[in-house]
Amino acid sequence: MKKILLTCAALILTAGFGTATASTPEEDKAAWDRFYQQRFPNVPEEDYNNGVYTIDKVGRENWEAIEEFPPYEPFIDAGREMWETPFANGKGYRDCFPNGPAIAGNYPHWDKETGMVMTLPLAVNNCLEANGEKPLKYKKGPINNILSYIAFESRGQVVNVEIPGDDPRALEAYEEGKKFYFTRRGQLNFSCAHCHLQTVGMVLRTETLGPAKGHPTHFPVYRSKWGTVGTLHRRFTGCNKQVRAKPFKAQGKEYRNLEYFLTHKSNGLELNGPGARK
Amino acid sequence: MQKRSIISTLLLALLLALGSTALLADSHGGADPRAGQVEQAINDAEAAREKAGSVDGEWRDTAKMIESARKALAAGEYDKAMKLAREAHQQGVLGYEQAMSQQELRIPSYLKY
Repeated sequence: MKKILLTCAALILTAGFGTATASTPEEDKAAWDRFYQQRFPNVPEEDYNNGVYTIDKVGRENWEAIEEFPPYEPFIDAGREMWETPFANGKGYRDCFPNGPAIAGNYPHWDKETGMVMTLPLAVNNCLEANGEKPLKYKKGPINNILSYIAFESRGQVVNVEIPGDDPRALEAYEEGKKFYFTRRGQLNFSCAHCHLQTVGMVLRTETLGPAKGHPTHFPVYRSKWGTVGTLHRRFTGCNKQVRAKPFKAQGKEYRNLEYFLTHKSNGLELNGPGARK
Repeated sequence: MQKRSIISTLLLALLLALGSTALLADSHGGADPRAGQVEQAINDAEAAREKAGSVDGEWRDTAKMIESARKALAAGEYDKAMKLAREAHQQGVLGYEQAMSQQELRIPSYLKY
């Protein structure tokens, strides 16, 4: 254990950092793909949407056993009921999302009108508020039901986050997400990249550090640790807390931009939410 | 003899009055100079926390430490409160320095462009 921690610390301390480089989102994506291809040459590209189970053989066996009786199923059913139950004004989710419920592949996207990254949970709450309903909390509770149902119905859609060139604010949001990803924070002085790029595949305590590529494809996830389904921004909160940094607000600008950047790195992978994780 | 006795009684009364005043002051905590020092340390920690927060550099436990320090101060546990306040102050200072050191995006060299 000590050895692992020391190795991690040494790697982190000795890792070289280049200077700021102006790279396009496409160049970033290519660099990430190259990195993971070199790090895990035997992992097929399309398997990255299985998160850490792409590289953790024993964990994968356990996960596949869990998937025989998926713990997230009741949440999908509850979400289906939400989708089909009209609001007090007689309208429903399908009025907000006429192409639904299989719409997860459209998120996150740049919303030119509001000048911000639009995520699926935010769109769900916008729908509720526009129809006089109370918005849902962004980390725990019923939002996970509707998200589970939408994710399940969207399985097989391919991630295709675009950074539109006709609005410089979109690239700005992407760059802010990138900056967040590589910024050291918290008492442990870690960035997201330290765990999910630089030391990916290594073991911290009992957990294998999963690749960033494919992270957002399977949300929301049922985590055994939570005993329930939780959102991507709940997981971001947990990550920040784990490095002992004060987390940001779920669906605030910081995490939305981070989601925009991170999901772009999963472009080309199939959506496979909701997922089950430890 | 009587004069001496009167003087002794008066002196004794004066000493008793002074002693009880000191005891009363002590029991109300107002005279302990440490209380003011701890309060100042907590204020310094809070200022450092806010400064770190202003650049998104606040750490997870700093606010909790300050809250615990305030509770310890209220309970008269000055040593505990001072220790917490100093630690929180240090966290605030380091959080700010960390955030300032990260102002520029630096792409790690292991990512090949």
